[in-house]
This record gives sequence, C-alpha cells and structure tokens, in this order.
Amino acid sequence: MTTADPLLSGSGLSKSYGGVHAVSDVSFTLHAGEVLGLIGPNGAGKTTLVDLVTGAQDADTGELVLTGSPLRGGAAHRAAQGLARTFQHPQLALDLSVADNLLLGAYAARHRGLGRLLAGLVRGILRPHAPADRALAERLATSVGISGLDRHARDLTLGEQRLVEVGRALGAEPCVLLLDEPFAGADAHGVAGTTRVIEVLRGAGHGVILVDHNVDLVTTLADRVMLMERGRVAFEGSPADCLASPEMQRVYFGTAPEEVAS
Amino acid sequence: MVGLRAGLRGMTNPQLWIAVVENGCFFALLGLAFYFNLTGAGFFNFGIGAIAMAAAFTGSWLVTEHGLSRPLAGVVGVLGAIAIAVVMELAVVRPVQARGEGELSALVAVGASLFTIIQLSGLFLGHEARSGQPFWSTAPFSVGSARVGSTVVPIVVITAALFTLSYLALQRTRLGRLTRAIGNDTDAARVLGLPINTARLLSFAAAGLIAALAGITFAGRSGVSPDNALHWTITGFLALVIGGTGTVWAPLLGGALLALANVFIPFYFGGDVLAYGLVVVAMLFFAFRPEGVFAPRVRV
Amino acid sequence: MSARLPNVAGVLGLVLLVVWAGSDLYRSSLLVTMLTYALVALGMYVPFVLAGSLSLSYSAYAATGAYAVAIGTAHAGWPLWLGMLVAPPVAAIIAVVLGAATMRLSGFYLGAVTLLFAEAFIQLLGNLGVTGGPSGIVGLPLLSFGGWEPSPQQTVLMAVVLTGVLALALDRLRRSPWGVVIRASREVPIAVDTAGVSVSVLNLVALGAGAAIASLGGALFTTYVGAVNPETFSVNVIFLAVFMPLIGGIGNPWGAVLGAAIVVHLTLNVDSLASSGTLLVSLSVLVILVLFPRGVLGFAGTAARGGTTLLTTVTKRGART
Repeated sequence: MTTADPLLSGSGLSKSYGGVHAVSDVSFTLHAGEVLGLIGPNGAGKTTLVDLVTGAQDADTGELVLTGSPLRGGAAHRAAQGLARTFQHPQLALDLSVADNLLLGAYAARHRGLGRLLAGLVRGILRPHAPADRALAERLATSVGISGLDRHARDLTLGEQRLVEVGRALGAEPCVLLLDEPFAGADAHGVAGTTRVIEVLRGAGHGVILVDHNVDLVTTLADRVMLMERGRVAFEGSPADCLASPEMQRVYFGTAPEEVAS
Repeated sequence: MVGLRAGLRGMTNPQLWIAVVENGCFFALLGLAFYFNLTGAGFFNFGIGAIAMAAAFTGSWLVTEHGLSRPLAGVVGVLGAIAIAVVMELAVVRPVQARGEGELSALVAVGASLFTIIQLSGLFLGHEARSGQPFWSTAPFSVGSARVGSTVVPIVVITAALFTLSYLALQRTRLGRLTRAIGNDTDAARVLGLPINTARLLSFAAAGLIAALAGITFAGRSGVSPDNALHWTITGFLALVIGGTGTVWAPLLGGALLALANVFIPFYFGGDVLAYGLVVVAMLFFAFRPEGVFAPRVRV
Repeated sequence: MSARLPNVAGVLGLVLLVVWAGSDLYRSSLLVTMLTYALVALGMYVPFVLAGSLSLSYSAYAATGAYAVAIGTAHAGWPLWLGMLVAPPVAAIIAVVLGAATMRLSGFYLGAVTLLFAEAFIQLLGNLGVTGGPSGIVGLPLLSFGGWEPSPQQTVLMAVVLTGVLALALDRLRRSPWGVVIRASREVPIAVDTAGVSVSVLNLVALGAGAAIASLGGALFTTYVGAVNPETFSVNVIFLAVFMPLIGGIGNPWGAVLGAAIVVHLTLNVDSLASSGTLLVSLSVLVILVLFPRGVLGFAGTAARGGTTLLTTVTKRGART
C-alpha cells in the first residue's frame, strides 16, 4: 500500500428495498487525513450508504476495501477493523450515565471477539472499576465539550446526545469515523465540539465521512464533497466546485442553471 | 421402522381423522382468539389459554358443585371470560403497553396474568381436573366403524360459525375495518384520531368470547384443569403463527396442521416425539417464516 | 461507599437467615429451597435483566444441575461435589446450543419456543433410562469431601456462601465494563454491534452464564434432598424465577435473592396463606408492573423515583452518591 492508496474505498454499492433503490451503484474513496462530506436531500441514500459501509445493513452488491484488505462481515467485525459511527437518531443507552455511554466505545473495543468477551467477564468480577477508565471518560468529555458525567443519558438534550455519541466513537480509537448528521439539533457549542473532533482525527491521519443537511458546515469542513440524489452520486469534487455545480442547483433548487442565470 | 401397512392403518383410520377435526377446530378457535388480539391491539395475548381454561373450569364447577344447568353455567363461563379479558386489557396490558417499554414488560405482564388466573382457579375451584360440561352436545353416533362423540358436531358448528362471523365482523362492518386499520398501524391510527381504545377493548372481549366457547366445548371431550392453561396458550399461539396473520381464516389452517401433528405423530412415533417435534417445528417456523403460511400483504 | 449498601444488607440478611434456621431441620430445608430459587433467579438475572432477553428454559437448566449430580453419583459413582462442578458447564452448553438455534427470535416467539423446550426437556428426563424415568433417582449418598461429611447445617452454610458470593460477583459484573456493554446492548443493540461487540455472541455468553448459575440451584437442591425426579422442576419454577427479581427489585442482583426469600416465605412458610401464597406472588407482580413501572421493568434508571422496593431505592440512591 502506497500513500496514494485510499484508506477506505467502496465500489458499486447498491441496496434496494422491495424495488425502491435506496443506494444504487455508488463508489467512493476516502484517503488518510481526509474529510469526505456527504450531502443531498432527504431520501438521497446517505444514511443507507453509512449503514452499508458500517455493516448495519447488508449491501445487495458492491465491494469495500479498508487499508488494502476487503471489508466484509457484520457490523461488529467491521468495527473491529477500525470503523466507528454515530447515528442520525442518537443511540444512547438512556438508562446509563453519561460516563458509561462515553466509555462504551472503549469498553466494547476491549471485548471484541469471544475470547476477550469471556476474559472481560472474569475481569469484570475481579476488578469492576479501573481509575484509568474514569480519567478516560473525562478526557473524552473534554474532547467533545460535555460536562456532567454522572447525569443519566436520558436527561441530555439532543445536541448533548450527539456529542456523547461522537465521544463514544472517539473512545474506540477508529481509523475511519462516520458521522451521520452530527449537527442536526446541535447548538453552536455542539458544532464546535464535533468540529474539534473532526480536526483532531484529520490531524492524526484518520478518515472522516461527514453526513449532514447543513451544506454550509459540510462544505466548510470537508476536503471533498459527494452530492447524492435518489441513491446515486450526482456530483463529486471539491466543496467549491460542488457548490458551483449545476447538479447542486438542480438537486437543491430544482432548477437548471440557465434558469437561475436568467 | 413404520411399516407400510401400519402407515395405512393410521391414515385410513376414520377415528383418528375425527380426532384431527375436533382438535383442529379447538386449536383454530384459540388461534382465532389470538388473531383478534393481534389485530385489534397488535399484541399476542398469552392469557388466552388461561381464559379458555377458566371459562371451562368455572362452568364445570358450577354444574357439578352447584347444580346449575349447563347452558346457564356456559353463559356464566363466557361472560366471566369476557370480563377477565376486559380487566386484563384495562388494568394490566394497557397501562403497561402505554409506557412504551417494548415487548419485554408486556410479555412479563401477560405471563403474570396467566399465572394469576391459574392460581385463582386453583385456589377457589381446586387443582384437580374436572370433566367438561359443554352447554351443547349431541347424541353420539357412528359413521361406518368410527364413533362421532357428543362434542364433535358442536365444535365443528361453533368453529364454522365463529370464523364466518369474525370474517364478516372484520371485513364488512365499519368497526371491524377500523380495528384492522388500528392493528396495522397504531401510530397512524392515533394521528388520525381513530377510536383506538374502543377497538382494543372490543378485540379483547371478542378474544375472551371465542376462547371461552372453545374451552367449554372442547373440555367436554378432554376434561379441564388449571394445568391446561399454559398448553392451550402455546397451542393457540402456534396455530396462529403457523397459519399466519394475513387473513382471518389462517388460524384454521394452522389449527388443522397442528391437529394432524397432534394426532398422527403420537400414533406413529409415540407421544414424546410430539413434544420434541413441536419445539423443532416452532423454532423453524418462528425463525424462517414468522409471518406464517398466509402472510399479510406488504404495502410499500 | 454507600454503593456497597445492598451488598452489606444482602450479606447481613443471609447471616440472619442462617441464624434463624439454626439446627432446625424444617427451617433449614426452607432455607435450601429459598437458596435454590435464588440461584435460579440469579441465573435468569443475567440474560433477563442485564441483556433484556426473556429465555424461559430455566427449569431445564435447574434440572440439568440436579440430574448431573444424581446421574454422576448414582451411575458413575462420583462424589456429589463432582456433579456440582460438572453441572454448570453442561447447562451452559445446552443454553448456548438452544440460544444459537433461537438467535433470530425475541419477545413472544422466544418465550414460546424456550417454554416448549423446557417442557420437552422435562419429558425427555422422564423417558430416559439413565435418568431413572418418571420416578427419577433416589437415595443419593450424603455430601462428602474425601471422607469429611458436613452436617446438614454446614451444607446449608456452604450453600449460603455460594449464593452470597454469586450475588456479590453479579453485582460487581453489572457495574464493570462488561456489565456496561451488556446493559447497553439491551437498550441500543445497534450501538454495541457497531462498536465492535457482536450482540448475538454477547447474548449467548449471557445465556450460558445464566444457565450455569441456575444449574447450581438444581444441584444444590438434589444434594440436600438426596433425590430428584422430573416433577422437581416444573414450569412454575420458571414463572417464579421471572417474578423474583421483579419483586425484589431489578436494580441489583440481591433483588433476586430478596425476591426468592419473599416467594418462599409466602408460598411455604406462612401457614395461613396455604395455597394462596403463589397467587399472592403473582398478584403482587401484577401490582408492581402496573403501579411502579419505572422501578421494575422500566429499565429506565428512574427506579428510585418509582420506589418499588426498599432495596431498589437503596441501590439507586447509593449509585448516585
């Protein structure tokens, strides 16, 4: 693998539900230290694509390659290869504390595979608490900018829940992070926290796939943007090129560029 | 090894087929009761078997211990069953389900209800099995070499009548169509302001009525004790799951298939094989075709 | 520190029960029955309360423990304690195989299949030669460790220690990273899956661990009574084992032990209740489910607000400070 090889690539990914093509023949690449923005209207297939990459859903067709090796198997297996994600509808254990939710990514990373799961069971009985974990929770909380570790997750606002999800994913130390609408319902503080995490991962040479409806934010943060429409890639290129493209005009304003010009 | 002759002896034995019909009708009725609960409340009521048992058991007790006439005891049993079903919905299932905690708490709540009904029956009416006291029986007669018992004709007639009535009620009446709409999509129904609670209550009441008629009539053949409750519940659930939830007639098919297994597997292989076989059949059906033979048509 | 309160209270409660039983044989047998139930309920606690899946085969696992002891002793000439060591892995294997076969099921479907399995399993026990058929296996020798034969009182004491240690261990497990992962899998399985732990494998481990613990209950009972038959562990045991953590409080494994004590007290120890004890138990479960929802099955972390039982309240209060 040379430096020019992508960190993660997908080719010919498709998924349909009973005749409706949610994602059809989508290919993409993500390089180390790159943020790939994914925009498009509702139902364009952005979340489905994230699901196909992370293994939350099985693709009908298509191949994925992560650092030179095929990426296959279930969601848990792919996470073990270095993928982490957040969810459009935050998936926090509302019954648990903020600290436990933040640590879930790191905890899960320690229990990957049957052997570690069994060892973790024994270790859990012998030594339920490690002071280092509390420190890790505080570090993760600081990275995303959230406080009140001992609150119940159910008491968080939507924006705070999104931050905890980002922190949880960060705790798994992923090489590719997929963020599904991290800015929806987030205030300026939430945006800043997520942005900080994106910058840290980019700086560390990891890859980020950023899905959001906030075109301004995505085009500001991303190195490259993919515009999706009805399950297909309508445009791919630099943020500036994308914003200026006729496809962008058509997808978001429903008009051909000539009409806009006239 | 089952010889060909033995095989034929079973399959051509009319007595066994009569048992299939009788069992099949009973299982189908229990399945139909489940179907009503599922349609109106989107919920498997594991209390069905206990309700059927309680109706039959109470009826028998009233006849043998208190000299009530069978029809009167039947009416008391049926009304009691409807009352139990309604109380279950109002006092247990609705409050628990309304909290939206998912299936687990509803399942435990229904399990506790089932257990409570069994214990109540045992405490007040005794744990010993009683002979059934069906409100309607016919004089036994013979068809060729086979003897048709006193409860066969009634249960066939009741089954035919209840399935036809259910079909008409659900397809042809406004409330029935409403009920099905609510079972299909409770959230949408709520948004549309449909009378969800009324439909739910009616579906519980109908399930109680059907279960009671099934239990009282079938007990005439098999007898009844509180121990039957759990079995009857599982049987009705299996009849519905195997038949499918796509049409009101589906439990009839599920009940028939279960009855075939219940009669012929013990005949050929012994009663134990039935218990083991049921586990396997249930597992396969639940895992690979949980929608049953008649699946609901999917509307995209 | 007050997070330890349920543990302290639990251990103290067990000590008081041992003192109460003393050398009274009737009380000792009640205590053994309670500990049997407690072990089955503690076993069920793992998949049911921690992982949120209701597998109802627990009478089969208790019976596995009982028959492992009885068969090992009667047919292989093992000492009783060897059967107790063999029982947990055997029960765990059965639970994992059944769990793997029913992996795609949940809720009502899982409940129905596991119930059918439990019934078929009990029927199998009544039909095999090695299990002694319907009459079971009787006349087992007394417990003996290489010549040292503990008195009934000492046997009860060992059972109390075993139950206490397991309750303590499960409480530690619940709060550990492993416990956080499995409790999260109950609410948000997709988040756990995409974080790298397969929820199906996790569930199998929970089922195996739970069955292993429950089998100890059966093994204990058979060791103490010296006999077993297919009727020993009926379907009632399953229901009661589901109800026990609910009655005692699901916030802590000690709730299962407390629930077992309450159930045995109501069903066996209060003469005036006679057969209505079981009814009282099921009614109280209904009342708890309906009136104190958050505390019991809400799995909602607001248990303390519901205030279902003293223990739950104490636990949650402790967890907050």
